[in-house]
Amino acid sequence: MSAVSARKALPFNDSRHLQAHQFLVDEAYLLDAQQYQTWLDTMTDDIRYVMPVRVTTARGAGFDTSPGMAHFDEDKYSLSLRVARMGTEHVWAEDPPSRLRHFITNVRTFECDDGTHLFVESAELLFRSRGDVNESTLVSCGREDLLRWCNDRWKLARRNIITDESVLRMQNLAVFL
Amino acid sequence: MIPAHIYNDKELFALEKERLFSRAWTFVAHESEIPQEGDYVVRRVLDDSFIITRDSAGDVRAMFNMCLHRGMQVCRAEMGNASNFRCPYHGWTYRNDGRLTGLPFHRDAYGGDEGFAKNQTLLPAPKLSSYNGLLFISMDPGAEPLQDFLGDFKFYLDFYTKQSTGGLELRGPQRWRIKANWKIGAENFAGDMYHTPHTHASIVEIGLFREPKAQKRKDGATYWAHRGGGTTYKLPPGGFDERMRYVGYPDDMIGRIKKLWTPRQQQIVGEDGFMISAATCFPNLSFVHNWPKVHDRNGRNDGVLPFISIRLWQPISEHETEVCSWFAVDSAAPPQYKQDSYKAYLMCFGSTGMFEQDDVENWVSLTTTAGGSMARRLLLNSRMGLLLDDRPVVEALSAESFHGPGRAQVGYNENNQRELLKLWADYLQMPRPALTAAAPATGTAVTE
Repeated sequence: MSAVSARKALPFNDSRHLQAHQFLVDEAYLLDAQQYQTWLDTMTDDIRYVMPVRVTTARGAGFDTSPGMAHFDEDKYSLSLRVARMGTEHVWAEDPPSRLRHFITNVRTFECDDGTHLFVESAELLFRSRGDVNESTLVSCGREDLLRWCNDRWKLARRNIITDESVLRMQNLAVFL
Repeated sequence: MIPAHIYNDKELFALEKERLFSRAWTFVAHESEIPQEGDYVVRRVLDDSFIITRDSAGDVRAMFNMCLHRGMQVCRAEMGNASNFRCPYHGWTYRNDGRLTGLPFHRDAYGGDEGFAKNQTLLPAPKLSSYNGLLFISMDPGAEPLQDFLGDFKFYLDFYTKQSTGGLELRGPQRWRIKANWKIGAENFAGDMYHTPHTHASIVEIGLFREPKAQKRKDGATYWAHRGGGTTYKLPPGGFDERMRYVGYPDDMIGRIKKLWTPRQQQIVGEDGFMISAATCFPNLSFVHNWPKVHDRNGRNDGVLPFISIRLWQPISEHETEVCSWFAVDSAAPPQYKQDSYKAYLMCFGSTGMFEQDDVENWVSLTTTAGGSMARRLLLNSRMGLLLDDRPVVEALSAESFHGPGRAQVGYNENNQRELLKLWADYLQMPRPALTAAAPATGTAVTE
């Protein structure tokens, strides 16, 4: 991811791993609670937030994402518009709001050679329930994050979301992963 | 008046399968998705899986994805490049043009060609044809030619698909399932200008799109021409170039477009002052062309630019649809334009699109409600644009004020939705087409 290269895996008792893990858990809380403005502040101004479209390809094809196509391919401006929309009175996709639970697990942290970044892998399961008639839906994905130390805290600088479905079973992604 | 249950009715869905999707031309892919020899994508027409390939001779083919032997799918990837497809079950092998080339123990097991002639192919799609690179399949071997099926709607298809001699290139599709009947999206894209100011109010509020204000949308025209129709926005004063620039086309693209669009096509923009927006080609193929603001760069705060999306409302059941949504861009467009246009698409439409999110919410709710018994007692009023005695609220535009074929009119109306459902009803009244043409395609083809 970017010019920063990951070096070695950190043991689970390394304080940087604990900080990265806490960052992800705290972030999951913000996403569950739909506190999107606060969530936006956890990202750097040069954030790249990408969720490629996965495709079913033959073993050995050498690719498993749709060339040039993503679900999310965001920068800070486009994310800020999405967040601003959530604050309007006309966001029908989330009014009434979904009940969301972001489960985060399998967190692994890698130190980077520049000393100011951490590379963090995690698995995520999003449970989304809307209304009282529709079936609840799930999105399962892996995430590859780059955290950057900014003055006094970690911020998210890159996120690559690897969804496990080629055909999403969720009616829209008016949610974040 | 429309019986509300048509949006969630098992028997009607069975009829749609038997009489509509068995006959009408349906979109499966664009030629730009399989640019190289050996490239393939696997697409469905309802329950039937087809391998769409560019074979080693460069010809585009659509082959039923079922081994001639025991019926296994010979290709289980959704895209790739292959010279051959080998069935995982018993190892029968087919060239990428469908010819059976490998049959293990042909002599021992079948006695060679005397037992099973090897000069057979995967079953070809009953009909395959293309327009501006858009590939369509008809399941009816006796289908009218695609050109005739599309008819005058081709005039409008060109706006989306013919902006340079190289034509479109597609990315995607994003694919996701929604618990909504397939007709709702098709109707919405065909003509629902009326929903824009309300459903998509948030898009204007956040400054993503400056057009959907109620007054502006009302000034647009809808048109219907043979097998399709769509919506437009009224453009501010100016000539063709000025108005194309207004929605964000760079000059080099405008130059290429002017060489390809007919005088009448250019008059729609340059004289009549309408810019195409959403459209639907019967039965389940839709297009959208909008021009949002995608950056907040210094000095470019008002910059908007257009994007094109092509989408298929792939029916899964009477209450479920798989949306296949492609980003499309002219292949000759500058790289930065392509990148910005892609961004515009993602922000507005598709699985994460801020327009689309709110649409789907409505359509799922509508479909759920249409499945109950009360929906069978309700006729939905679909008469917008008509007085009680069937006279139009607003007269159709004259040939001088709208240079495209078909019927066009300014303002909110549901003409196009009615036209679409009229075609739908016509198809449901036709008998099921014959499964095969006079001679079966291979020795194993089913006969009536």
